[in-house]
Amino acid sequence: MMNIKAFQLVSAIERELLMGDKDRINIECVECCGKNLYVGTNDCFVYHFLLEEKTLPTGTATFTATKQLHRHLGFKKPVNELRAASALNRLLVLCDNSITLVNMMNLEPIPTGARIKGAVTFALNENPVSGDPFCVEVCIISVKRRTIQMFMVYEDRVQIVKEVSTPEQPFAVAVDGHFLCLALTTQYIILNYNTGVSQDLFPYCSEEKRPIVKRIGRQEFLLAGPGGLGMFATVAGISQRAPVHWSENVIGAAICFPYVIALDDEFITVHSMLDQQQKQTLPFKEGHILQDFEGRVIVATSKGVYILVPLPLEKQIQDLLASHRVEEALVLAKGARRNIPKDKFQVMYRRILQQAGFIQFAQLQFLEAKELFRSGQLDVRELISLYPFLLPTSSSFTRSHPPLHEYADLNQLTQGDQEKMAQCKRFLMSYLNEVRSTEVANGYKEDIDTALLKLYAEADHDSLLDLLVTENFCLLTDSAVWLEKYKKYFALGLLYHYNNQDAAALQLWVNIVNGDIHDSTRSDLYEYVVDFLTYCLDQELVWKYADWVLQKSEEVGVQVFTKRPLDEQQKNSFNPDDVINCLKKYPKALVKYLEYLVIDRRLQKEEYHTHLALLYLEEVLQQRPSTNDKCAEVTGMQAKLRNLLQKSDLYRVHFLIDKIQGTGLHMESAILHGKLEEHEKALHILVHELKDLSAAEDYCLWSSEGRDGPYRQRLFHTLLAIYLSAGASDCELVVAAVDLLNHHATEFDASQVLQLLPDTWSVQLLCPFLTGVMRHSIHTKRMTQVAVGLAKSENLIYSYDKMKLKGSSIRLSDKKLCQMCQNPFCEPVFVRYPNGRLVHTHCAASRHTNPNSSSPGNRT
Amino acid sequence: MKKPDVKIVLLGDVNVGKTSLLHRYMERRFQDTVSTVGGAFYLKQWRSYNISIWDTAGREQFHGLGSMYCRGAAAVILTYDVNHLQSLVELEDRFLGLTDTASTNCLFAIVGNKVDLTEEGAAEDQEKEEGCSREAGSSCASAKVSKQVKLEDAVALYKKILKYKMLEEKDMPAAEKMCFETSAKTGYNVDHLFETLFDMVVPMILQKRAEGPPQTVDISNYKQPKQTKSGCCA
Ligand SMILES: Nc1nc2c(ncn2[C@@H]2O[C@H](COP(=O)(O)OP(=O)(O)OP(=O)(O)O)[C@@H](O)[C@H]2O)c(=O)[nH]1
Ligand SMILES: [Mg+2]
Repeated sequence: MMNIKAFQLVSAIERELLMGDKDRINIECVECCGKNLYVGTNDCFVYHFLLEEKTLPTGTATFTATKQLHRHLGFKKPVNELRAASALNRLLVLCDNSITLVNMMNLEPIPTGARIKGAVTFALNENPVSGDPFCVEVCIISVKRRTIQMFMVYEDRVQIVKEVSTPEQPFAVAVDGHFLCLALTTQYIILNYNTGVSQDLFPYCSEEKRPIVKRIGRQEFLLAGPGGLGMFATVAGISQRAPVHWSENVIGAAICFPYVIALDDEFITVHSMLDQQQKQTLPFKEGHILQDFEGRVIVATSKGVYILVPLPLEKQIQDLLASHRVEEALVLAKGARRNIPKDKFQVMYRRILQQAGFIQFAQLQFLEAKELFRSGQLDVRELISLYPFLLPTSSSFTRSHPPLHEYADLNQLTQGDQEKMAQCKRFLMSYLNEVRSTEVANGYKEDIDTALLKLYAEADHDSLLDLLVTENFCLLTDSAVWLEKYKKYFALGLLYHYNNQDAAALQLWVNIVNGDIHDSTRSDLYEYVVDFLTYCLDQELVWKYADWVLQKSEEVGVQVFTKRPLDEQQKNSFNPDDVINCLKKYPKALVKYLEYLVIDRRLQKEEYHTHLALLYLEEVLQQRPSTNDKCAEVTGMQAKLRNLLQKSDLYRVHFLIDKIQGTGLHMESAILHGKLEEHEKALHILVHELKDLSAAEDYCLWSSEGRDGPYRQRLFHTLLAIYLSAGASDCELVVAAVDLLNHHATEFDASQVLQLLPDTWSVQLLCPFLTGVMRHSIHTKRMTQVAVGLAKSENLIYSYDKMKLKGSSIRLSDKKLCQMCQNPFCEPVFVRYPNGRLVHTHCAASRHTNPNSSSPGNRT
Repeated sequence: MKKPDVKIVLLGDVNVGKTSLLHRYMERRFQDTVSTVGGAFYLKQWRSYNISIWDTAGREQFHGLGSMYCRGAAAVILTYDVNHLQSLVELEDRFLGLTDTASTNCLFAIVGNKVDLTEEGAAEDQEKEEGCSREAGSSCASAKVSKQVKLEDAVALYKKILKYKMLEEKDMPAAEKMCFETSAKTGYNVDHLFETLFDMVVPMILQKRAEGPPQTVDISNYKQPKQTKSGCCA
């Protein structure tokens, strides 16, 4: 068992002071009350001393006792017991089985001579029930067998209040409220003297071994148990603390929180009530008295009186911490809570937790350390400062004094062990990461984040980037130096960006992409830069790096113009002409940009549309150098061109027709002519140049999209005319004409068609056309008839309503009020709603609603 | 110091392994022990409750303390050594009487410890040396013996206890549920034992709370049940 120094034994009264050289004089009992120290001797003397405490510069306490007086009590018996009742200014003296009251100051017996007779021993009730401050409650073990008596003792009189008999002879007693704790012949019991109810505690043979009954606090007693145990028991007869283990021949016990002190013939032992462990042993021969008086512990032999001075708890705790006994130190500190003012305690306890944390930390017990740092509310910088160079140079931090630990830095703590060092760093990383967003970080977020950045950079940790892209307080200069040192250029760029230095950030990243400096953090850094510029609000920067991104890749680079977020467009968008100007050198990018303007943003500006169409056209022409290559499939680019030509109405048609002339792009030129409403020409091209009859048919359909019926009919008739004009010789076109009629029967005006057709054509041939036309015509007729019928019947219904309403007359009098304005009618003109309500004409005009229904009213 | 909500007490003869069981449960390991002096207690946080668990000394010298330790207990764990019949007998002869002071609705668990030393226990224990197969059991007889106390004996004792306490079997947990065989050495069944009991005492805590804390202790409460009992037996 490791010891701590909890008490120091100092002499209080030298033997010379008491008895000089008279050897047969023995100390029988002592009492201490404030500065008053009383000693009773075997030759019936009571001594009164004043006790003066001094603390030497070394921190050790010394006591000097100055004798005030001594008085013989007038018997030939020893003084057995002394108790002071300071409220009454009385000393209770037990001598020759009687308790006398003497003045505390001059030791004179009181004039009334009041006394308690027939007492073997007595105890004061430290938890009195009477509530009278000028009265003490005294319990005696009477000389009468098996009898306990309770007295009220006043300044000059005593009064018996209760006598109880016990089942066996009592040997020792302690009192708390109504509860007596008694050592009987064979056992300890709790006896409620008020109710007489008793409660067995445990067996103990008081005749064999002197019992100890000591009140240690509210409703709790300490008892000598079997096998040298110090047993705790409450008035309820239960034990709330584990016993302490004394020696078999223990003589006395005292309490000085949180310690239990016991005396035997060779030692004073000190146990902690908090963990039941023995904490200290002091050799002390021939001791026979051990008592505590309001926290002051006194031991005495028959010749001298000594005081056990507790070392300050804080000192004890520091001693424990110094020997790395964290657990015990914390138990002791916690146990001291109720003995120290709250504020002071908290400060002390926090510091102890922090110290304990560092002890655990030095042993690499990180979990425990973390918990202690957390509960001790450690200033994280104390921890950071252990790691060389982590605190920013600008930090104002200085370690607390006295220091929380004995280490200069991590190197000393780990003694250079790299593995341990790495573990410590990992711990700090996770710890800082945990606390940085808590209130622990308040006030020194810069220090924490900068340290964390340094750790991450050094360890090549992924979280470095997370730290920099989210809210952080990394100090720029300090961090930049570290990132450079560890070649974290990409991260450095992020840091610059976070500090609104985008230009510096971009320069770094461009250098990385160009291979001027090396940092492989991102393999897609180019795309990252493009993305960055896309969202960059600084136009100058975008212009600065536009050429660079476009040179790397036109398609990707152009995104800095085309992918810009929309909300930004309004306030701070690029002038398209500037961009187009810039993109001249980058044709692919230019196409993409124009597409963006025309298709995505739907800018209705002729130049862009024409420009885009022209670029498409050039591209198409470049792709198919051989003109009239009929079998070539429509390329993607061609499709785009056609699409644009068809959908857009803004480009300069004539300009494009000129460009397209002779290129063999028939379809495209047909579309262009169509734009000019030159449908015949367009269809002619399709039929005769392109020789794509289905394209011609399609043309009729899409060109007339969104137009009225006659417009479409005109197109079909034009096409039919083209087919027929070729004459019967071109039989392909004849077939086409027949098919056209048969497939699109309803698109034609049958009577006109029939006049156009050559007489030679058989009815057979045109059968589908004719039946189609007939059916359509009949259908139209019938539908019209139905419509006429319905309209007629509707008309009839309204006529009926009108007749009904007109059937009765309406009387207008002064009493009839307008339902809207509530005024009478002054003229014989009114409006009547179908529900019968009458209103002024002007009221009805101003509100075309029925006064009582939401549906519009019909006026009659 | 946190105030415990409820108390559980371990009773049983010297050397049956009470301290080892508690140590195994609380500290998660098996360690050399010294014979307990007086008693010791642990505070266990179980859900939101504080449960105090008292380890008592089996030595005859401290026998007298048992009643006090049991006073007001919500559960008593009567422990014996499965290889030592006498330790079961002692439970009835010597320890049962100590539980008179326990709370009136006190639960009883009967625990046969050290099953790792028996043949069956060895089979249950995977950590044991491979070398000693079941067949070779007889040659290892010095280490592995067949159990002296069967679980049925414990069950029988449990029923006897209920009779002694004049409790109806149907009102109390079934014997099969309250008789355990454990090994503090291997940890076998130890968590199960304690946690089963914790779960059972929680309702008692709640009931106690509902009734309100007995601020001033009226010790007459403790005497009365005894008196009625003796009156009833007479
Ligand atoms: N093999 C084996 N040995 C055990 C087991 N449990 C305890 N022991 C051993 O048995 C001996 C007694 O154990 P303790 O836990 O001290 O017994 P106890 O019941 O607390 O004894 P007292 O405190 O004297 O009442 C020790 O040597 C333990 O190592 C077990 O499950 N298996
Ligand atoms: Mg034990």
